[in-house]
Amino acid sequence: MAILTLLHEQPLYGFEIAKRIEERTAGSLRFTMASLYPMLYDLERRGSVKAHWEKNPVGRDRRYYSLTASGKKQLVPLRQEWRRFFEALESLAGLSHA
Amino acid sequence: MRDWPKLVGEKLKDLRLSRDERRQVIAELAGHLEDLYAEHLAQGMSEQDAFRLCVSQFDQENRIARKIERAKEGIMNNRTKVLWLPGLATLVSSSVLLICLQGVPYFQPRIYWIDGGAVGFDLRWLVLLPICGAIGADLSRRAGGRRSVSLGAALFPAIVMLAAFSIFLPVGLLEGNSFLQHHLEYMAASALTWIVLPAVPLLVGALGGQMVVPQYK
Repeated sequence: MAILTLLHEQPLYGFEIAKRIEERTAGSLRFTMASLYPMLYDLERRGSVKAHWEKNPVGRDRRYYSLTASGKKQLVPLRQEWRRFFEALESLAGLSHA
Repeated sequence: MRDWPKLVGEKLKDLRLSRDERRQVIAELAGHLEDLYAEHLAQGMSEQDAFRLCVSQFDQENRIARKIERAKEGIMNNRTKVLWLPGLATLVSSSVLLICLQGVPYFQPRIYWIDGGAVGFDLRWLVLLPICGAIGADLSRRAGGRRSVSLGAALFPAIVMLAAFSIFLPVGLLEGNSFLQHHLEYMAASALTWIVLPAVPLLVGALGGQMVVPQYK
């Protein structure tokens, strides 16, 4: 869901996705190459994201990922599911009163 | 200047994807490592430490390769796409062709009696077989198969017959099958008509197709 949420905002390339997730979660969530790219390729195969190469004038070309219409559709129920999951955890652990 | 594509290519040497997909994965991961390396250097790390940390991304290189293959291919793996399915297409098309030719009244197959057994020789089938070989090889190349694999797909019917002969002939002989024991000449003639003779036009079709289609040259 983290990847889909980021790509909903703008197209990003792999390294950027890993960096943004790390920054936004203050380092709690880190993607290594071994976990990030298989996930991106899986999302691409399932049609949730699409990728295209872009010329990079100052270095190596980048493969940018963007959300497809199908990916956008998936994001709404996914967000609700995660919200319910965290609410359930919170009510179980009493996190709001901790 | 580090050669990141070379490093990734060496680390993922077992990555079984089509040539184009493999090239793209290597280019993408090389770009990732290059960015990671630059970031480590910008944080004040020594070149050696930065490089070591980048290489550590491949600690379990086989696992990464398998994960990428699974993610890219889903249920159908690359071997299925470049060998088994095109090979099956060659086998089915050559079989259908042989069946259809039975209904054609012209140039009927010749039957030769060799060592007490009938051996059929259908010249029409052999003349048209290059088309089946070209189909199998083309499907394999389109799926990203190497030239050797595409030739394997084109020769699939002959390979299947070779496998069948290699299994049933020794097993039959070991079990003491009297027909096989006393008609080895007939078996050799059958092997010739079902393995060697079809293999030649299938190969011609595969090689011919690769010479005609520009991107396969």
